[in-house]
Amino acid sequence: MASTTRHGLTSALRGVPKTLYTRQTQSLQQQFQSLRLSESAAVTNGCRCLTTEAIKAAPEVDLEALKTRKVHEVRHARAIPASPGYFSRVAKFNDTYIALEKLLAQYGNLPTIPATEVERVQWRTYSDFATGVGEKIRLIDYKRCLAIVKRLNQIHPKLKPAVVKTALESFKREIQAYKNVPKPIPIDKFGRALGVGKRKSSSARAFLVEGNGEVLVNGKTLAEYFGRVHDRESAIWALHATGRADKYNVWARVDGGGTTGQAEALTLAISKALMAHEPALKPALRRAGCVTRDPRRVERKKHGHLKARKSPTWVKR
Amino acid sequence: MSAPNCLRCLGRRPSTATTVTAAGRCAPFSTTAVNGNVPMRAKTPNPMAKEIGFRSGARLTIKKKKVNHNEGKAPAPGERKAYRKKIVLSNDNALPVPWLKNMNAEHLASPQSAGKVLSLPSELQDQLRASEAFQPSQNWGFFRKPSTLVRTETVDLVTRMQDSASEKKTLRLVVTGSKLVGKSTMLLQAMAHAYLNGWIVIHIPDAQELVNASTEYGRIPETEPTQYMQPAYALKLLQAIKKANEKVLAKINTVSSHPELPQNIPVNTPLLTLVNAAKEAEGAWPVFHALWSELTNPNANRPPVLFSLDGLSHIMKMSEYRSPSFELIHAHDLAFVRLFNDVLSGNLKFPNGGAVLASTSRSNAPRSPSMEISLAQRKAEQAGAAPEELPKKEPYFKGYDDRVEAVLKSVEVMEVKGLTKPEARSIMEYWAASGMLRAAVDERTVSEKWTLAGNGVLGELERASLLTMKYF
Repeated sequence: MASTTRHGLTSALRGVPKTLYTRQTQSLQQQFQSLRLSESAAVTNGCRCLTTEAIKAAPEVDLEALKTRKVHEVRHARAIPASPGYFSRVAKFNDTYIALEKLLAQYGNLPTIPATEVERVQWRTYSDFATGVGEKIRLIDYKRCLAIVKRLNQIHPKLKPAVVKTALESFKREIQAYKNVPKPIPIDKFGRALGVGKRKSSSARAFLVEGNGEVLVNGKTLAEYFGRVHDRESAIWALHATGRADKYNVWARVDGGGTTGQAEALTLAISKALMAHEPALKPALRRAGCVTRDPRRVERKKHGHLKARKSPTWVKR
Repeated sequence: MSAPNCLRCLGRRPSTATTVTAAGRCAPFSTTAVNGNVPMRAKTPNPMAKEIGFRSGARLTIKKKKVNHNEGKAPAPGERKAYRKKIVLSNDNALPVPWLKNMNAEHLASPQSAGKVLSLPSELQDQLRASEAFQPSQNWGFFRKPSTLVRTETVDLVTRMQDSASEKKTLRLVVTGSKLVGKSTMLLQAMAHAYLNGWIVIHIPDAQELVNASTEYGRIPETEPTQYMQPAYALKLLQAIKKANEKVLAKINTVSSHPELPQNIPVNTPLLTLVNAAKEAEGAWPVFHALWSELTNPNANRPPVLFSLDGLSHIMKMSEYRSPSFELIHAHDLAFVRLFNDVLSGNLKFPNGGAVLASTSRSNAPRSPSMEISLAQRKAEQAGAAPEELPKKEPYFKGYDDRVEAVLKSVEVMEVKGLTKPEARSIMEYWAASGMLRAAVDERTVSEKWTLAGNGVLGELERASLLTMKYF
């Protein structure tokens, strides 16, 4: 029977089990659906589940061998794709999605840790993933996919199987910003912490030790070094804002820039050194504006202008 | 210009007024000149523009601003300087501080009063004001009464003064320290102690005035090398001495007659009379010389003398005066400076003891490398450094002055430093009690201001907490 009909011939060539072709009058769609259904999986899990493993792609047709065996040359034979998802619009994505779902079904019962305690990962963005795969994925699908990824990532790290780990790797960004952790500032044997700060074109290094509030900047006292009271205040702002002005001594080196820049570079340097002594002060220091470096620099001069934006005086002629 | 309708006419029937309104078409009651309201005539086109034949439209005309040259009256000569030098010692709006005590003769020398704020009694205020001990840059005018913080350094200095007076020695001391640290106030406190204890005080408030060629000068005959007197300054100084030391000078008498003076000053005349003999600048220098010789006479029983000077570096260099051969005169050739240096170097001693104090300045001070190196060496010596460890002069620098180094060869140096935190707290409590510092004075505020003030520099403490509106 198989050799007389067209179906039978192609299926014989591809090595498809005959059981699938018992009903002659199936439409193409029905045939495809039945192809993808794995009966065994559906039975075991109690739900419909897609698999690609039940069907094996046929080996390449060796025409020479066929000639020698005096088999009729078959025309219009089509190769069956490796993945049944081939006929969908987003084959690769579907495959990964299915694989992930399978993993979730398999390992979803493993104990998890709370989401807040999971190591922070930067997942690939939608556009990044879509260009990587080269398919037009729908955003909603990618989001669903990521939900599974995040759920799998929550599995307790000691129990997480290697399969899951490798599966998650493809969803991670190549550069993980969260791995870029600043080196903790050590406190040396003399009890000093060295903080470095910058502002405009000034840079400051401040050594902070426990003391009684004395400050030396480039070998001078604060009042000698900064003529302006405002600058002195901003130099020790980190200590003042946290109420530590009389608890530490500062020895600092500052260079570059002007007085304001130097004073504000010192703010940052002292606050970093202070965070080395008392890490719990970080939120207070952030509220005081002593944690983030101010990235602003002098704006460049433009041609046709006197300065960055100042125009020359308007003359009628 | 008179108004077109006088006030008397306003009461009458408005015959004139109606005519005016008809002509000028202005409001029925108006004092504005009618001429100002003449309706504009149509513009006649500019004949020149037509001739040339281009752009005769609206033109940009820039009017010159009227400059009013006579805005008020210019201040009279010397008025500006008087305003600049004005010293205000009290402020009625400040709260009186209940715990404040008046200073007495013993207070400044007793260690118990260290770290306390004491006010100056009114008589002492007058004396200090006469000798120009108060400076316009100090903020006396903030408070109800002028008061000072007695520091451990003050007690130390005053005790040394007292000891030298009781041993009939002369304390020779230079007060140094960083900017705004309270060097001049230290002199003021020394003077306050001297006045309260019946010393005679001669104070040169600003050494700059002696050397910057601002007062007249003349050669003193028969001196080798030639010395120069400054008669106008002598008169001013004598008057200050008289005003400040009146009581003491009235009590002590001359021991020698002074034939060089035009007035007849017999023996046993009160020194006050001698001082009063200087009425004009012309004879002031001989009178000062006579007074000086009386005060330093070894055979007389005199009270201790305090000779003080502010701004030492001015007299440790060439002055701006010129000799007859148009060469710069060294400051040490000026008679006043010479007298001061004689005592400071130890060549001349007050027979009944006393002190000579000089303070350096940081704000208005010319560089005097010899003075700087000498003071550094003296300081190192006092700290116990061996002779080979002393700071050395730069071998290739030519600006050193041997005469300066000779004067400062054996003086004592006292470096005034920042306040301690208890002292800072004491003065800040006084400020707060006077209503001038609007903050709770607790440990945190004190230590924060102390840090801002460069480890307790008193002037900076004022800037950081009292003068926040002026310096920010």
